[in-house]
Formats: sequence, structure tokens, C-alpha cells
Amino acid sequence: MNLLAMRESYLQQRIMLCFNGPISRSLIEEIGNALRNYMANQETALSSAMDVFAIYIEMTQNIRHYAGLQGYDETQATATIAVARDDGAHYLISAGNLVEWADGERLVESIEALAGLDKAELKRAYKQQLRQPREAEASSGAGLGILDMARKSSRPLQTSLERLPDGRGFFSLTATV
Amino acid sequence: MHSDLNIAGTQSTPAIQSDWSAGRLAMQGDSYPENSYELFGQVIDWVDAYLADGPAPLRLDLTLVYLNTSSVKAMMDIFDLLEDAHERGQDVAVDWRYDPRNERIAELAEEFREDCSFPFVIAPTQAPT
Repeated sequence: MNLLAMRESYLQQRIMLCFNGPISRSLIEEIGNALRNYMANQETALSSAMDVFAIYIEMTQNIRHYAGLQGYDETQATATIAVARDDGAHYLISAGNLVEWADGERLVESIEALAGLDKAELKRAYKQQLRQPREAEASSGAGLGILDMARKSSRPLQTSLERLPDGRGFFSLTATV
Repeated sequence: MHSDLNIAGTQSTPAIQSDWSAGRLAMQGDSYPENSYELFGQVIDWVDAYLADGPAPLRLDLTLVYLNTSSVKAMMDIFDLLEDAHERGQDVAVDWRYDPRNERIAELAEEFREDCSFPFVIAPTQAPT
């Protein structure tokens, strides 16, 4: 394992924090805490730091929620998370996870459909989703978390879905603050 | 008389106190548990019971800082109960204080207030913490 090469790759991509592996509830909190502390030290505006943190929480909790619904075991219920800066003043928050192929396709489609909505339309969709019965939330494609991220992201959410050797997909999502 | 809530806060859950005789419910801190209803279920039950049998007006004092979407949904259920009570003529009010450096929480509180017609104050705290 070449840690120096990993380090250089992270530096080059301006990755300030990344994680790959089984993601537990307490790990989500601890990484979130580290993220907040890091941004406080960087003198990031509090509102931007809150947006980054909120997106990170929704992404990781969505992944755990999905893995739980699918009954994935510890090796399958993993997440790949990275928070980076772009070459300007933006933060990029990315998370990827294993999904059933059809679920991945549905997710990509529903997130792409949000790209054409303006702030007011996203807000309307969010409020509508908030009023859905709790049971309906789980089955819907663009849940409340996705709509919340889309509202906080300064650019449309970016997705990708890649086929894994076992036929499943690796879904990844990036938001920009 | 209903028993009161006195729940200590954690990194991801707010501190919660209720006072049945004074008609007061207060919550402080961050709220991002994975399943917010495990926590807020008892708060919703307390508010429901108070609005049915409580002795006085009900006042919510909130200094919540960050809410995940699951907590937003639970809070909306609480505000819906207050709104129903208000429409029946009951005296209910919310007072939400926020750190003026954190405009996001003021925006969130404002979105809740849009759906409420009872007194709902959103004000910065005097001294930033």
C-alpha cells in the first residue's frame, strides 16, 4: 500500500476528508463532527458549513437507511464519502454506495428530473414531500433528503451509476456548496 | 396531570424539557437522529395530551440549531398540532431563538412559520454563543 501516493492524490484533488468502509451511526456522527471542526478552523461562513454538514448527514443517513431496507450485511452496507474543495470557493460533497441496479436507475432518473427545477419549484416539491405520510416516504424515488440536498446545492446534484461485476450498481452523488 | 419530559441532549439529539403546570416545552441543540420518531414520538404525545387537558396556554421555547429532514418532519407534526389547537381557539405560541451568525436556522424556522397562523416569533439571541 502506498500511502504517500494516496496522500498526494487527496492533496491534488483537494480532498479534506474521506472515508470508505462500513458506516455506523456513531461513525456518521464522528466524521460529521470532524467535518464541522475542520470548517470552523477554515473560517468557512457558518451558513456554508451548515449546508455542507446537512448534505453530508442526509447522504450518509440515506445510505444507511437503504442498506437497512435491503438487509445488506456489513460488507455490503458500506459507503464511500469524500468532501473536497474545488478550485474556487466551493465545497464538493460526494457519497457512493452499493445499490440494486433498478433502484440505481430510478434514483438517477428522479435526481436528474430535479435539475430543471428552480429554487421556488424545489421548495414546493420539498414541502409537498414533507406532507406525504411517513410510509410513503420510504418508497418514493426523490425523498425528502434528496430534495433537501438539491435545495442546498448551488449546482444541480450530479449522479453516476456504474455496473459492478455482480450485476449490482455503484451509485454516487455529488452536491456543491 | 401528565408526567413531564426531561431528556438530556446528545451530539445528535436535542435536550428537551416540559413543564405541564407552566404550559412550557423547550428544546435546545442539534437534532439529527436516524429515526426522529423514536425521540419525538414522546414529545408529540406530550403536546397532544397537553392540548387536550393542559391547564394553561402552551408555549414552545426553541433554540434548535440543526435539524435533519427526519427531524423537520417530526417538528412539522408538532406545529400541525399547535395549528389545530389554535384553530379551536386555544392559546399557543412558539418562540425560536437562533445564533445570528447562522442564518440557515432562521430560514428553516421561517419555512415552518409559513404554515402556521398562531404567534411564532423568530429572533436572534442577544449574545452570540
